Amino acid sequence: MSENYRELLAGYVDGELTDAEKLEFERELSHSAELRTELEEFMKLKEVTNGMRYADIPDQIWESYWESLYKKTERGVGWIFFSVGAIIVACFGLYNIFYKLFTDPDAPLWLQIGLPLLSVGGVILLVSYARERLFARKRERYTEVER
Amino acid sequence: MTSDKDREEESMTNDSALVMSIGTGDKKNKKAQKAFEKLVERHKKTAYRVALGMVGNKDDAFDISQEAFLRVYKSANTFDKSQPFLPWFYTIIANLCRTWLRRRTTHDYRMVDVDDASYLLVSDDNPEEAMIKKQQAAGLREALMELSFADREIVVLQHFRNLSYDEIATMLDIPRGTVMSRLYYARKRLAKLMRQNDE
Repeated sequence: MSENYRELLAGYVDGELTDAEKLEFERELSHSAELRTELEEFMKLKEVTNGMRYADIPDQIWESYWESLYKKTERGVGWIFFSVGAIIVACFGLYNIFYKLFTDPDAPLWLQIGLPLLSVGGVILLVSYARERLFARKRERYTEVER
Repeated sequence: MTSDKDREEESMTNDSALVMSIGTGDKKNKKAQKAFEKLVERHKKTAYRVALGMVGNKDDAFDISQEAFLRVYKSANTFDKSQPFLPWFYTIIANLCRTWLRRRTTHDYRMVDVDDASYLLVSDDNPEEAMIKKQQAAGLREALMELSFADREIVVLQHFRNLSYDEIATMLDIPRGTVMSRLYYARKRLAKLMRQNDE
């Protein structure tokens, strides 16, 4: 069976053919037993799916849909403010700690070495995680569109 | 002459214009919020039903539909106004469904979803007929979840969303002929899976 008749078969089942296409398909149908078998199978499938519908959700959930979505957008804005605030406070705290650590002659050497290493490691991990998330997001939005 | 009010009303009737209003305005701004609400009210059921067809689970479909709107909200400023809204929105939903299915695969999602008998309903008043249809629905659910994502999406859009070929072509950004060809092969595989599951 040619690719053209396969496409026409799909369109015939769904009533999507033009008069000329329908005529062409029916002409082929009268000659091809294979096409008739497939048509019968597809019509049966269509009949099965026509008698079914997806379950809907209760009206009160639809009514509260916008409200719940709005709360989520608010939470998103809240998280942004919270994260920015937390970064500012953390930077200020770290600055003070480092300032005291390196201006205090009595500060132990192990702390003067260990704390900067801990901070630099933390920043590297944070940047690496942020970069991974950014790449994942880009990939998800553009390259994984499989069509 | 077109008044400002007319222009505002016109911009509130077109999906792309609504997304542009969300994207260009301050998100706390009333106009942007109104536009977002209008867009959500207009497409919430479509988003839910498309997701339901893909993942076969009501609660997850609901969450996916809301997440899709959140992504529209967040990335409205990247929307290309020369393009129609629905294909863009559909791509967001489809990507979220793919991610969801990938995560569920590790927990054998078929065991969970196929048993969720309430997501695909039969409509028949005759109890005997309804019983047969329920069995068919169970077979169809199982077969649908065994199809590849690409096959399932075309079957869902045509059989359960009743979209025309032109609408599917726009939504998936493919030619009409490709819709016909993909439908042929998807149905062929679906029918085969249903036969195998019957045996």
